[in-house]
Amino acid sequence: MRHRLDRREAARLGAAALLASAMPRPARGRTPPVGSPLEGDDLPARQASWWKSLGEGRVECQLCPRGCQVADRERGACGVRENRGGTYFTLVWGAACSVHVDPIEKKPFFHVLPGAQALSFATAGCNVECKFCQNWEISQFRPEQVPSQYLPPDALAALARQRGVPLLSATYSEPVVFWEYVRDTALAARRVGVRTTVVSNGYIQEAPLKEVLPYLAAVKVDLKSFRDAFYRDLVRGELKPVLKALETIRAAGVWLEIVVLLIPTMNDSEEEIRDLTRWVKATLGHEVPVHFTRFHPTYRLTNLPVTPVATLERARSIGLAEGLSYVYVGNLPGHAGENTVCPGCGAVLVRRFGFSVLENRLAKGACPTCGRAIPGVWS
Amino acid sequence: MPRTLTRRELARITGLSALVLPWAGRAARGGQNTFRGRVGVAKLAPPAAGGALDPALARTAVARAIVAATGAASARVALAALFKPSDTVGIKLNCLGGRHLSPHPELVEALVQLLVEAGVAAERIVVFERSSRELQRAGFVVRRDGASYRCFGVDNDYDPTPSTSGAIGSCFARLVSTTCSALIGFGVVKDHDLAGVSASLKNWYGVIHNPNKYHDTNCDPYVADVCNHPFLRDKLRLTLLDGLVAQCHGGPAFRSDATFPLGVVAASTDPVAADAWAWRVIDAERSRRGLPTLAAAKRAPRFIATAARYGLGVGDPAAIQEVAG
Repeated sequence: MRHRLDRREAARLGAAALLASAMPRPARGRTPPVGSPLEGDDLPARQASWWKSLGEGRVECQLCPRGCQVADRERGACGVRENRGGTYFTLVWGAACSVHVDPIEKKPFFHVLPGAQALSFATAGCNVECKFCQNWEISQFRPEQVPSQYLPPDALAALARQRGVPLLSATYSEPVVFWEYVRDTALAARRVGVRTTVVSNGYIQEAPLKEVLPYLAAVKVDLKSFRDAFYRDLVRGELKPVLKALETIRAAGVWLEIVVLLIPTMNDSEEEIRDLTRWVKATLGHEVPVHFTRFHPTYRLTNLPVTPVATLERARSIGLAEGLSYVYVGNLPGHAGENTVCPGCGAVLVRRFGFSVLENRLAKGACPTCGRAIPGVWS
Repeated sequence: MPRTLTRRELARITGLSALVLPWAGRAARGGQNTFRGRVGVAKLAPPAAGGALDPALARTAVARAIVAATGAASARVALAALFKPSDTVGIKLNCLGGRHLSPHPELVEALVQLLVEAGVAAERIVVFERSSRELQRAGFVVRRDGASYRCFGVDNDYDPTPSTSGAIGSCFARLVSTTCSALIGFGVVKDHDLAGVSASLKNWYGVIHNPNKYHDTNCDPYVADVCNHPFLRDKLRLTLLDGLVAQCHGGPAFRSDATFPLGVVAASTDPVAADAWAWRVIDAERSRRGLPTLAAAKRAPRFIATAARYGLGVGDPAAIQEVAG
């Protein structure tokens, strides 16, 4: 998953560094060369965007709903924001720990440029702690504990252009914790004709979300459960702010897809799935795709089995029965539930196998059989 | 540097063990907390600003605190009962406060010397902190080899998989999980903005990879959960606190207007009692300054009571027996 630039790429991106130099400089220390490894105090500390002073050297973070109140020399729960003498800094602006070109289906986005590649990037850190985190080796560590390299926004945008990919994707760990980096990268990408997507837990305050949404092409949110107890016990977060974020994204007109990782016995009851899908239809609309994906034991949740196929199929049936138009199953390569089907005539529009698009019959974003418009980002 | 005990010292220890066989036995098994609720305190004035401690005075204070904490005939005897020559002893410092609010190097050197005299080879002693950079900022020289004791940061050397204890799930420093067979906590006496007190137990947040995840609800039960993990519960034998200068407000970072010259070195085999004592000291100074108590400031160190409930020691500040050294 991790990708370190080779010398040729770093040299190419040197030009991007010149562009990057025009951007606001880190608050202290020199700007590292593009592509250079970052270690310890070399992290590019930069004043954070969403916080307020509480006096006596303390600050309150206003980025995520945790609202961490942080004393001098301490960090927020995310581990990537530090109070230094009463000023709050992000330590991960430009500190990419993972850079890779992935199919957009891997995010998964099934209604965004099917078959397209996305230059995907992440930094260390996360604002929650899911006991089932699949990327815990980067999300649950602090930036100085994870090998990273300095890739400022212009360099990322230039790399996307160089690779010929139409999309950037902030993903893998949790983009909320590197939200300034996401914002500036989306702006840089827009200047070179590349669009930006975000894969997030949606655990973010409204103001920073609204500020960045205009620069994004699509957002995928992991709705981890429809029960607050689940969020408290297995995520160390809260459900309500996530639901609010989903509404905000939808209201902003940014393309939205939802993923629900079904964990046996934890969030897979018929009642919960019914509640969830009813809420999505009633609040966000029937056209928002919902992906029910298969859990694999990992991190701190290794005592449960993988999700049975029947559970995923049942969840999909419930979603469709509740009136959602696009309900998928995930982490089940070859299953018919991976395909995009026209809700009007039942024709298969996009046929997939895992992350691969085998056939795309969409014609200008519509069903070629019955002409029904299919919502999404198709061109 | 390794030193064999003289026959007289051996006889003393043997005599001591007859008196304190239960706790000596427990120490040998890797237990802790042999003198529950007891905190030994030795006076030592802080050095003048920018100055260093007199090594002889530092040694005397550390030795007296240990003797007062254990009731042993000497620090050497006490340490020989707590640590075996075959132990690899890790001494965890708290250097987040930088040069002004970290254990004085002279005190740490004194402890190392006493351990050596008690039979632990210098090269089996590791003075450590979360990062090498923090050690250097506090005035320590980083060294990973040579004939003397080691001194370096955990940096990024954690277990590859997380380990659970109560509500926490963390990768522990390999120094704690694997390298060291016995541990000593060497912290300071200071207020903590969220935990209330950062002295003994909170110091061990520095051995997990994700302490930032565990600052909700005044760090309770998380601090106690970290210390209740077998890596710590079974290895932590002694706690020392550099209380030459303490801080009653604005921690954990150093804040000059909130520090005061407490002028003591404290020691205890009960890490919970050490915290309860520190809480009492901090609240006394806050009261003297007209500041609300930690409880009134809504940051009572509740993790102390939780740790006591876990059986790690005595958590009631009123029940602490302070013994002058």
